[in-house]
Amino acid sequence: MLNEAAVKELNEIRQKYPNARAALLPALYIAQREFGHLSPEAYEAVSEILGVPKAIARGVATFYVMYKHKPMGRNIVQLCTNVSCMILGAEKLVDFLKNKHGLEPGGTTSDGRFSMVIMECIGACGTAPAMLVNDDFYENLTEKYIEEILGKYK
Amino acid sequence: MGKVLLKNIENPDSADINEYKKAGGYSNLPKALEKQPKEIIEEVKKAGLRGRGGAGFPVAMKWTFASADPKFPKYLLCNADEGEPGTFKDRPILEKNPHLLIEGMAISGYALGAEYGYIYLRGEYPEAKNILNRAIKQANDNGFLGDNILGKGIKFHLAVHQGAGAYICGEETALIESLEGDKGQPRIKPPFPVNVGVFAKPTVVNNVETLSNLPYIIEIGGDAYSKIGTPDCPGPKLYCVSGHVEKPGVYELPMGTILRDIIYTHCGGIKGGRKLKAVIPGGATTPILPPDKIDCPMDFVNMPKHGSMLGSGAVIVMDESVCLVKVCYRILKFLEHESCGKCTPCREGTGWLRSILGRVEGGEGMEGDIDLMLSVSGNMMGKTFCPLGDGAASVVQNFIKHFRPEFEEHIKNAKCRFK
Amino acid sequence: MIKVTINGKEIELEKPVTVLEAARSAGIKIPTLCYHEQLEKYGGCRLCLVEVEKIPRLQTACTLMVTDGMVVRTETPQIADVRRGILEFLLINHPLDCPYCDKAGECELQDLVEKYGPAKGRYKEKKRKAPESLEDPVFVRNMERCVMCTRCVRMCDGVQGASAIAIINRGGHSHMEPFSGGKYDCEYCGNCVSVCPVGAIMSRLHRHSYRPWQVKEKTETICPYCGVGCTVIAQVRDDSIKRVIPKIGSSVNNGMLCSRGRFGYEFVGSSERLTSPMIKKNGVLEQATWEEAISLTAKRLGEIKNKYGGPSIAGIASPRCTNEDNYVFQKFMRVALGTNNIDSTARTGYAGTQKFIENIFGQGATANIISGLSNSDSVLVIGGDPTAINPILGLQIRACSRKGGNILAIGHIKGLEKFNPVTVSPRFYTETLLLEGIVSALKNKKGLPGSIPALEAKIKDISTSAKEVENGCGIAEKDFIRFTDTLSESLTPSIVLGKDIAQSSGGSYKLMLISAINYLMNARIYLLSERANEQGVLDMGCAPDLLPGYRPLSFAEFRKRYENAWKSPISEKPGLSIFEMVDSAKSNALKALYIMGENPVFNLPNSKAVKAALKNVEFIVVQDIFLTETGKLADVVFPALSWAEKEGTFTNMERRIQRLRKAVNREGMEDWRIISEVAKNMGVKLDYSGAEEIFQEISRISPLHRDLTYEEIGKGGAIYPYKGEPLRGVMEDIQMHKGSSVNPDGKLYLRLERPLFHSGTLSTKAPALVKIYPEAVARVSPAVGEALSLKSGDMARVSTRTGSLELPVNIDNKLDNLSVMLTNNFEDKGAFSLMEYTIDPVTKAPVIDANEVKLEKVLA
Ligand SMILES: Cc1cc2nc3c(=O)[nH]c(=O)nc-3n(C[C@H](O)[C@H](O)[C@H](O)COP(=O)(O)O)c2cc1C
Ligand code: SF4
Ligand code: FES
Repeated sequence: MLNEAAVKELNEIRQKYPNARAALLPALYIAQREFGHLSPEAYEAVSEILGVPKAIARGVATFYVMYKHKPMGRNIVQLCTNVSCMILGAEKLVDFLKNKHGLEPGGTTSDGRFSMVIMECIGACGTAPAMLVNDDFYENLTEKYIEEILGKYK
Repeated sequence: MGKVLLKNIENPDSADINEYKKAGGYSNLPKALEKQPKEIIEEVKKAGLRGRGGAGFPVAMKWTFASADPKFPKYLLCNADEGEPGTFKDRPILEKNPHLLIEGMAISGYALGAEYGYIYLRGEYPEAKNILNRAIKQANDNGFLGDNILGKGIKFHLAVHQGAGAYICGEETALIESLEGDKGQPRIKPPFPVNVGVFAKPTVVNNVETLSNLPYIIEIGGDAYSKIGTPDCPGPKLYCVSGHVEKPGVYELPMGTILRDIIYTHCGGIKGGRKLKAVIPGGATTPILPPDKIDCPMDFVNMPKHGSMLGSGAVIVMDESVCLVKVCYRILKFLEHESCGKCTPCREGTGWLRSILGRVEGGEGMEGDIDLMLSVSGNMMGKTFCPLGDGAASVVQNFIKHFRPEFEEHIKNAKCRFK
Repeated sequence: MIKVTINGKEIELEKPVTVLEAARSAGIKIPTLCYHEQLEKYGGCRLCLVEVEKIPRLQTACTLMVTDGMVVRTETPQIADVRRGILEFLLINHPLDCPYCDKAGECELQDLVEKYGPAKGRYKEKKRKAPESLEDPVFVRNMERCVMCTRCVRMCDGVQGASAIAIINRGGHSHMEPFSGGKYDCEYCGNCVSVCPVGAIMSRLHRHSYRPWQVKEKTETICPYCGVGCTVIAQVRDDSIKRVIPKIGSSVNNGMLCSRGRFGYEFVGSSERLTSPMIKKNGVLEQATWEEAISLTAKRLGEIKNKYGGPSIAGIASPRCTNEDNYVFQKFMRVALGTNNIDSTARTGYAGTQKFIENIFGQGATANIISGLSNSDSVLVIGGDPTAINPILGLQIRACSRKGGNILAIGHIKGLEKFNPVTVSPRFYTETLLLEGIVSALKNKKGLPGSIPALEAKIKDISTSAKEVENGCGIAEKDFIRFTDTLSESLTPSIVLGKDIAQSSGGSYKLMLISAINYLMNARIYLLSERANEQGVLDMGCAPDLLPGYRPLSFAEFRKRYENAWKSPISEKPGLSIFEMVDSAKSNALKALYIMGENPVFNLPNSKAVKAALKNVEFIVVQDIFLTETGKLADVVFPALSWAEKEGTFTNMERRIQRLRKAVNREGMEDWRIISEVAKNMGVKLDYSGAEEIFQEISRISPLHRDLTYEEIGKGGAIYPYKGEPLRGVMEDIQMHKGSSVNPDGKLYLRLERPLFHSGTLSTKAPALVKIYPEAVARVSPAVGEALSLKSGDMARVSTRTGSLELPVNIDNKLDNLSVMLTNNFEDKGAFSLMEYTIDPVTKAPVIDANEVKLEKVLA
């Protein structure tokens, strides 16, 4: 079950829409934050509050790539490899993360510190290659710069 | 012409309402509220404003349909899903100039008779979410949004709805589905959103940049606005340039600026003085152009005449070091990943094309693969629900059309020489 | 009038339809996959693309509405190419395992490929793989074969309303899954299976056991389970039912079925079926010949009749047997044995409730069309979960909600919880007060119409305020007001009434209050009915006070009519009700009991006492398809033919008379024929050539069935009163009984659960249903569980004054803290074995809501 604060937050968001169903996407974000990932319990909690059947909620959630369906590391490295980043060397950075940090696309480091996700375009093409770590943008990446960035996240 | 959309963004506090006001912001909303909604739509019509989201649909026409529909309430949705690869033009508005968008939406909402608005923001812009939420709160506190805007008894509420990583949600009916808490799969049209949109009510979907033009149209009037840029396609335009240019970034220039000028004049030419190999002028799914085809005015009307499309104005510049088979493969991989899966040709075709391209790029192409790709694209083109499927087919067709020898070489030599 | 031209053919249409529908109406076939007439439009497969003049792009015929003057071409060479292209896309990832796939022969994809030509094998990559999923007891899922038409999901979510499955992931990686990813945990209606065009979801029951084209026998008949009476098609090979499917367009269920109807047929072929008559010798049942069993029965009944008189003999008829069986049975009792002692388990609630309501509103008051429910603007549900008891009727309530109607529920109704019901849940034993409150509120809002003075006299002094309801029932005043406001604003309301009301204390008083609500709201009332022919058994006169045609025995005029027709006197003395039979057995007054297709030792409350009473009876005959607990007590047991093995008719809760058709051959006799043989041996002529001749007699003499023929019924049923005479205006005084009040504080009560997956013990002989719901469980609330540190699955002992059972516990967070719910379906674990009852003096129904129960944890 969601804690009281989360339920309150969700009910406030719910008020922004004319019906409960429309609050499903934000509710899934909240549940993901509270449960770590969208576990069966997370769906049940959302379903209970919004009255959206849990199978349907799961169907919707899995359509979108930013919901997580398995436990993730504490920090999520989201590296873009789409065209603009690719032609400016994003793939080399993928290799770098793999070889140097054991971070494979879709994988999590054994210490649970990082998970890595390959992104489609994240809207930083003019400063490619780019990535998001959690909610923070990092642009004009180089191997050295990545090294520095990762050091900031524990 | 000074900057309109990117005005003041060098100011580190540009997102704050006071800075925005200092620079003349929120002076057009009161002016607009003096007018009748119909008059505003008339101004927009005179201005000749076309949607900046990709399709270039005349804005006033859409608004007229929605405002004529008797159903209430009406909704105004701002498409801030900006997902077309290569596109990053809306982001500076969202992050640095949110009040311009809010003012534009308040004006548009009034013109349409919409009392509720949502900004559908892509999940990949977490910073923008916080900035927008703060800006909306400031606007509410200052009476620019809410139940009684500027004491005029006009109501317009605005909220941010965050997407969760699905390019297709940029398509307006998919966006509506997603806002309703469903998968972002495009809807059957008709009925059109202007009549049966979000929550089954009349709905207008406009791009961030489109809506951000509104204060300026009010400021200078439709006639004056229509003199900017090209006659069929007036106004300022944001071009976002990435890839191998000296100075990539977002440029605000008059609509119809020549592609070559964008690359060579504004962006300082090809990086390191290398040779240009190809340009994708309007975002990854628009047709690629070879170097000899870049003397085209970048607007919605002229680009098709020159074999491509303006799309989102996302110019991706590639120099000689780039393997175009690889680029084509990467775009198809993207489209396969993003296909919503509703239509058979798109769901299956994108994956099939991606795998053939992967094979060719990896040196395992077979005799006949190029024709096979053309045939598969042909089986997709015109047979899908929304333009994503067509886009995928057209990417492959245009890459092959302009760069067939490069594909042939991969197959013949059974390897990629760019590796 | 809209004119369109399709393939050069001009078509005129009354109202706008899709191009596809227009084409079909003109006999032009357009291929489709994602389209299904029961489902919302989708337009995803793209197979129905057609050319439309003046529209540059190809259009999907399944979504495009026709407009006047439209010119469409559906079969040009270009379109054939397009379809070939789309089929190629569908096949690139589709396994070519048709020889192995059970769908081959009725696969829509296979048929289309056959029509448009096979793909050229241009796909060189590896196909998507997904192992066949056998995680579920009744479904096989094979997602490699899925064509993503989403019909299953649109069915489950949009029509069935179970919302148990969804398409997960996106694009080429998506597929259908139940929530768990494996097992379905759903309502198991299998309607997803019906609509799957390929072999992606199938029933496991007939896996690899036949090919569609090998099924020559396809018999249209009626489901044997509940009172809805769904049309089913039994597909049979070598006299074994391979599959039961619904039929699109059938009047009651239009292509839908529930779990029982679809998966519950296997009892027919059960190895436990009785195969030969048996006679008890020295306390042991031994096989006997038909002649022996028949002559012994005739002889013993004759002796007992001579010695003690006809009224010492009683008969129990069956709501699972046909009208014809029941008609012959009651005639036998009345004519050959000279007694009106005939009744059935309809007495446990249905009969009394119906009689009560019809007394006020006239005959046929409860005969309302099920499909009409969804057109109501509100449905008030009380006394049972319609989605479990009569699932197809339940769907109509869900559809009502989907169309914008309100569902009002008294007490939590599980199967409707996703449909935003406006619910008021009164505290235990305060339902009467709530109903009085509702009647008061409606009286205030609507006033008394003045048309039924007798009813008005009963309610004119009732005055219960919202505050009193709040204090008494524990329902917040504002919730109560919202409830009564919603109800009173309704213009076309319906009431759906379950048996729990008749079986609760003060049942007849509550029925009066519900009748008053019905009256004040001018509503339609539906009675939930648990057995397929519960209505028919009453219509046939298998009741101590009724003659065939639902005519009161007490009317001399009717008696005369039947005496003339049967050429035999009929006793004017009403017979014993089924409960009076038990009492009579207990006091040794009952000497013989003839039971057809019923298991009173299990299906009547306080079954231990029933059993003890029956042991006193000198001679018991049982006709059944299984050797039941009751059969074990019998002196003679006859094996009967089951539902699938005989002809006849059932009458459903709407009073639709429908044909049952023989689907499977089996040696043996129909129930009526066994009786007629016994009669013959007693020297009474009760001869018929077949069921149809019996029905001809019924339609000759029953005023309700007048002139009805098999031929006419065969067209999809006939609703009575057909050409018959309705019976109105014979109102007796409204009698009612308030029951005693109980203070339930701190106690637990045993209550009867009526599950979706079971029906009597019949369903427990259907392995698929048993796999879905394998055993009896005691359902309790989390608080009750916690107090005894019981988790779901833990064993508990459930005890009442009459005995105790050990059962696994199931925690249900929607249940109140006073109830222990238990089903009455599993042999030796039935709720009735723990329940005592009293009889409501008006409805004659057993009151079973006052059984205090003790729950203890059983340590492993
Ligand atoms: C596959 C697809 C993706 C799209 N993505 C976007 C987008 O990210 N942002 C956007 O503004 N419009 C996008 N569009 C266009 C929208 O459907 C719609 O035309 C636009 O939001 C209308 O606004 P406008 O008239 O202001 O351009 C997309 C269209 C398609 C078919
Ligand atoms: S074309 Fe592709 S993305 Fe668009 S609706 Fe069809 S499957 Fe979905
Ligand atoms: S039947 Fe029309 S698109 Fe599938």
